[in-house]
Amino acid sequence: MRYTARDLARCARRRQTSQQEFQHMVLTPDFDSRPVMSFQHVWKTYPTGTEALRDINLVVPEGDFLFLVGPSGAGKSTMVRLLIREEKPTKGKIFVDGVELGRMKRRKLPYYRRKIGLVFQDFKLLPNLTVYENVAFALRVLGEPDRLVQSRAAEALDTVGLAGKEQTYPANLSGGEQQRVAIARALVHAPRMIIADEPTGNLDPATAWEIMQLFLRINARGATVVMATHNREIVDLLRRRVVAIDAGQIARDDRSGRYHDDVSKPQIRAQ
Amino acid sequence: MMMFRNLRFALSSAWQSFWRNLAVSMAAVLSITLILILAGVNLLVGHALSQVLDGFREKVSVISINVADGTPLSAVYAYQQQLSTDPRVAAVRFITKEQALANFQADPNNAALVQQLDANPLDAKLEVKVKALADVAGIDAAARQWSGVDPTNPTNYQGDFVNRMLQLSQWLGLAGVGLLAILVVVSVVIVMNTIRTAVYHRRKEIEVMKLVGATEWFVRGPFVIEGVMTGLIAASIALSLLVIAYPPVVAQFKSDIAFIPLSYDPSFIASLARDLLLGGALLGAVGSYIGVRRYVKV
Repeated sequence: MRYTARDLARCARRRQTSQQEFQHMVLTPDFDSRPVMSFQHVWKTYPTGTEALRDINLVVPEGDFLFLVGPSGAGKSTMVRLLIREEKPTKGKIFVDGVELGRMKRRKLPYYRRKIGLVFQDFKLLPNLTVYENVAFALRVLGEPDRLVQSRAAEALDTVGLAGKEQTYPANLSGGEQQRVAIARALVHAPRMIIADEPTGNLDPATAWEIMQLFLRINARGATVVMATHNREIVDLLRRRVVAIDAGQIARDDRSGRYHDDVSKPQIRAQ
Repeated sequence: MMMFRNLRFALSSAWQSFWRNLAVSMAAVLSITLILILAGVNLLVGHALSQVLDGFREKVSVISINVADGTPLSAVYAYQQQLSTDPRVAAVRFITKEQALANFQADPNNAALVQQLDANPLDAKLEVKVKALADVAGIDAAARQWSGVDPTNPTNYQGDFVNRMLQLSQWLGLAGVGLLAILVVVSVVIVMNTIRTAVYHRRKEIEVMKLVGATEWFVRGPFVIEGVMTGLIAASIALSLLVIAYPPVVAQFKSDIAFIPLSYDPSFIASLARDLLLGGALLGAVGSYIGVRRYVKV
């Protein structure tokens, strides 16, 4: 059975389907529908003169699970920074959910960020807040009422398997657990897109795999996932969409790809 | 409702962070306290000076016109009438030769001189109270034209002195304002840097707030409230120190330099309190706003 993102999102919203069912679903992104994200001839040159991205064209349909791979300094992080509008493109346009990021007003930015969930390699948890407070923080910032904050935060912590650790401080958690907290925080406001920058970079292989399972489950519930990663085993195992960036350009875009295709071989790259 | 929740969040997180970063908070409180004490001293000195100047002004705005001996009383009354209808004049009082002598004798400083007097050398005089200090010169010029004035010693007007007093009071006022302006600039810079240090400690928190979609005012709110809190605490400390120190300093000053009529004015404390609390809150708010701006900007 094939599901499109829209079916799943609708189910998830109505809570008609249990979490267990989702786990077995493989979401097939609908490439014909309006894309959630698109890069159109995007160039990024930093003030120092570094050309980080050169003519990037990329379409991400709703419900897609996309790996951004490539050597360090290839431009993966620049793409992530452009997507969360920490940077603006020098040339070209980026559309997310129908909005052109380069022309978005500064005061609209917070409202845009609320539509996406962000996960980072260094977790970015607040050390002086408990696990629960860290997750609840993302909702408090939006001015949500206490009752909603409590139930949603508890639900998000349950999803990532951290129920019972609410009152623990991040320093007393393992790396994998800290990343789970960060994922719960990214999930708690039910974003339609998750952007993750090397989420498994600081984790051992077994823990990294557990974290990936979480992302897969989130994707199966209908959220679009864009993940920059160096984790070859995971990319090769999952056979999801792989976009390889090399020297600021898209070297490869496979619907079910591997980490290394031929892109890392010098003679191919030279062409 | 959402506004209320945001305000509550800002208040509670400002309160928490004030106590959590107590060392930095205390540094900010102390620097603002110091500045507010300086500003308060400036205000108090300015107030005392204006009190003293008002006393002087009161004195120099009265001019005595000496009446020549032998001038008929009817002419003096006529001139007194004429003066009191002048719009520049507040009041005119006639002092006879006898009254003038009595006043002179009443002053204990003149005791030695009084012993040697055999006749009454003093003139009768018209004491004219002028409404505006600047008009004294005009009244003086008119009085010198009057037929009944004593030609050897027409009036007690010392033009230069009055003008100098006027200028001095203007300069002192200007100097006070200038000093206050410098203090405000210096204090904003100090507060800004102190709060920037506090903000720097919390840049990670600000980064996370921005990443999860907090609006700029939501991020800024707690810091501005913390700044206001800091300013109010500093103002309370500065105010209590000044209120405690004010009466003994005035008393000391009075006993050392008796000829300057300085006095303790408790009614000024209310306006001083208002100025300091308002100033402290404003300083804290502006300092925080500027200090946090760099980190809030995307």
